[in-house]
Amino acid sequence: MSAQAGTVPRRNIRLNSMLGSRLLATARSEWIKFRSVRSGPLALAATALTVVAGAWLLAAGNRSSYLAASPAGQAAFDPVFTVLQGIELAQLFVGALGVLTVTGEYSSGLIRGTFMATPQRAQVLALKALVFTAVVWACCTATSFAAFFLGQAVLAPAKHVAIGDPGVLAAVLGGGLYLALVGLLGLFIGVLVRRTPAALAALFCLLIVLPILFVSIIPGKITQNLGEYMPGQAGEQAFQLLHGGAYSLGPWPGLGVLAGYAAVAAAAAFALILRRDA
Amino acid sequence: MSDAMAVSSAGAPPALTAPHRPAAYRRAGAALATEWIKLRSLRSMRLTPLLGAAASILVSVSAVRHNAAGWAQLDPVQKARFEPLYLNFNFVALGILLFGVLGALVATNEYGSGLIRATLTATPQRGLVLTAKAVVGGLVAFTVAAVITFPAFFAGQAILSGDHAPHLSLGDHHVLLHLLGIVYYMTAAGLIGLFTGVLVRSAAAAITSMFGLLLVLPLLADKITPDAVTRHTVPYLLLNLGDEMVHQHAGLSPGAAVAGLAAWVLVSAAAAALSLRVRDA
Repeated sequence: MSAQAGTVPRRNIRLNSMLGSRLLATARSEWIKFRSVRSGPLALAATALTVVAGAWLLAAGNRSSYLAASPAGQAAFDPVFTVLQGIELAQLFVGALGVLTVTGEYSSGLIRGTFMATPQRAQVLALKALVFTAVVWACCTATSFAAFFLGQAVLAPAKHVAIGDPGVLAAVLGGGLYLALVGLLGLFIGVLVRRTPAALAALFCLLIVLPILFVSIIPGKITQNLGEYMPGQAGEQAFQLLHGGAYSLGPWPGLGVLAGYAAVAAAAAFALILRRDA
Repeated sequence: MSDAMAVSSAGAPPALTAPHRPAAYRRAGAALATEWIKLRSLRSMRLTPLLGAAASILVSVSAVRHNAAGWAQLDPVQKARFEPLYLNFNFVALGILLFGVLGALVATNEYGSGLIRATLTATPQRGLVLTAKAVVGGLVAFTVAAVITFPAFFAGQAILSGDHAPHLSLGDHHVLLHLLGIVYYMTAAGLIGLFTGVLVRSAAAAITSMFGLLLVLPLLADKITPDAVTRHTVPYLLLNLGDEMVHQHAGLSPGAAVAGLAAWVLVSAAAAALSLRVRDA
């Protein structure tokens, strides 16, 4: 009796440490898969290059026009958004990386090995998303800061801001968060759709095609209002300093809308990954 | 036994010295037939172009209807700026993505499934394979482009005339040329997609490049104030070349826009041909 009473806590300890080591092993295997596929480092390098080179080009290209602009035009000039706009192009690379992180595993068949090794599918997906977010967020935040400092230096004779000015630090951090959330949205869409071309088309339509369709091609009251709540349009508020235009959700609510899209996709992805055959 | 072999080999020489070599035109015909079979048996090539064409026409019609309904309320300045052709075809900026992405998939699907190795074993003349692919892909893109452009034009202009807004007919000054320019732009996007697919081989990289090249990069570059460099480069980005086809007041000359698009197609074709020639499949 006394021996039996002694084994119960010991088994609990063993179960707990098993869970811990499994989570660690799963996280490690997700990290190995992430860094050993060529698309990972390539997409992050393309993102960094696009955003930083874009900051230089956009700052240089807008400096003279700022100096020649009317006072109203100068007041509407957003020195943070102007130099960070390269993110609009770089989101394609980060989004594609998120999609590929999942669909690449489905198309190579590796996903069956993954699920055989770790049948706890929700854990696999959660750790995949966690590892992806940590790496992409770190890289994209560093990129965002580099682009900001380079851009402000190039912008110098025109209106420019320092990192300590009100709202600036949040906007630069917002650039990195925006990219990480776009990548995460792509990752969960990848789980839902599984096939690379279809998942990429779905993500890019949501991010780029639908907003243009709603705002520029079919203008109207309903579509204009919808446009403000599209993931890209809303999330972009995060790296803007001035919020006086047609879209004035503000940085954190805007980022929250983007996170909401990612959360909905995540809920669907977790539900489906448990139900479907791999 | 050896005698029999000697006899049979003695009988063989005519066939050995003059092996059956298909004439060049027959080989080209076979290559074209192969590419056509591969194209039409691809799942993404059956429903997607039809759905894409239907969606394009639908978007065009709803854009025209919205603008036609508002015509009576416009002030004189806005009325002077009313462009019946542009309103009808502003969807093309997005519509070309359909062509670029499907063109890319025609090439990358073959690399993804490994079929390209069988194709190049059957037809080692890689230039011929690429040419046949471009001819078949280009003809299909041209057909889909015409099926989108002309119905969209007739439907859109009928709505405008129904609402007594300015409208165009096919016989009006340069209208037919503009429509052919739009078809040419869509076809060129399809070919650029195909050549990019051959060049990068991966569906993800090709599709991402298409969204970047056809839409996002030009939109971003348009925000840079024109200076000595950008004034002569940004108008030659794909989206801006396509804009010349849908606007009746042109920034570039029509000839420069047509030549610019041709240059994009030819440069991507040359890069694809070189890559196909020097790299292992």
